[in-house]
Amino acid sequence: MESGGAGSLPSDTRPVEVFNSIRERTIAENSMVVLLQGLQGEVTTVDLRNESTARGRVVNVDAFMNIRLEEVVYRDWRGNDTQMQDLFITGRNVRYVHIPDHMDITKTIQSQLAKIHRVRNFASEGGGRKEFAKKTK
Amino acid sequence: MVLLKNLRPPTEGVRHEQAETTAVMDGQMLGCGKLYVAETRLLWFDNSGMGFSLEYPTIGLHAISRDVSAYPQEHLYVMVNGKLGDENESDMAEKEAGDDDDSSSSSSSGGDDGEEGPITEIRFVPSDKTALELMFTAMCECQALHPDPEDDDSDNDFEGDEYDVEEADPEHGHADVPTFYTCDEGLSALTQEGQATLERLEGMLAQSVSQQYHMAGVRTEGSSAELEDGMEVDAAAMEAGQFEDADVEHW
Repeated sequence: MESGGAGSLPSDTRPVEVFNSIRERTIAENSMVVLLQGLQGEVTTVDLRNESTARGRVVNVDAFMNIRLEEVVYRDWRGNDTQMQDLFITGRNVRYVHIPDHMDITKTIQSQLAKIHRVRNFASEGGGRKEFAKKTK
Repeated sequence: MVLLKNLRPPTEGVRHEQAETTAVMDGQMLGCGKLYVAETRLLWFDNSGMGFSLEYPTIGLHAISRDVSAYPQEHLYVMVNGKLGDENESDMAEKEAGDDDDSSSSSSSGGDDGEEGPITEIRFVPSDKTALELMFTAMCECQALHPDPEDDDSDNDFEGDEYDVEEADPEHGHADVPTFYTCDEGLSALTQEGQATLERLEGMLAQSVSQQYHMAGVRTEGSSAELEDGMEVDAAAMEAGQFEDADVEHW
């Protein structure tokens, strides 16, 4: 779900939003994946390309549309339901992600983009380690 | 029927190992062995070294199942696109990359496999159930190392300057904004240095109009050194008359 760096999500702590690389931020910023990333914490249904579905709470969506869900009801293509504690769907296998009705899509996209920009402009907003700052002239 | 191959443990990039893990493939019990979650592939083999490996791009889904009504043991469920066993893993991976819709079902799982082709279901049942979360997380991490190559845009790499702790320099924070400012909007977006630079350049422009008859060389106001090394001169250091002691006077 995260690439580039060592982004690991310990499953026993509160889910954390992870932006692991410049590349992932760029991909997210330039595609609708940002909307899916804004689904963190929501319960929704993911339809897979093989006709199975998974309904659960979104833990994380990365730039490659890998989706991690928890407390999931997984219905396989035969129609059998299984409860899964944690589930990870490879992005390539996703057909649809249902957006909950109560979500404001525009607002979600905007706030996700704002988060990306905050990370990107971290330095210009005064953040970061000062000991490596170049000397002022 | 599943053909197992003789395998050796991976030498590096192993994120997790789980011994005493039974593998069940499409309902067929393969025995007890050891699972290796490595960055390059997933491996399982039994005590005699016979086993199989899975390439991450072929794995569609993995999950922790604690639902004993669905399957009597808690386990790690892995859904693989394609069939293992009487094919080479590399052949299968190639087929997978070509997104083959062909459903060549010599399937022991029965039923319709959907439009994406045959599917293999594997369950890894560790004797230590508390290890399931570690196994799951290790697989998530490794899966993320193998994004879908078909899905790549060429413009994915951001070319601006993002925050880099080794080059932390607040002044360059604006460099990454890939926009151009018109004159009026732009003024407010200038940093202090930017503003000073702008004033200096405008000053130089004004001077060059009024003092066109100077030969190349020394000027009393401003200096040619500024032009050569324009980025580095502090506007505050520029003083009129700093070259008054120069010998050359051309007016």
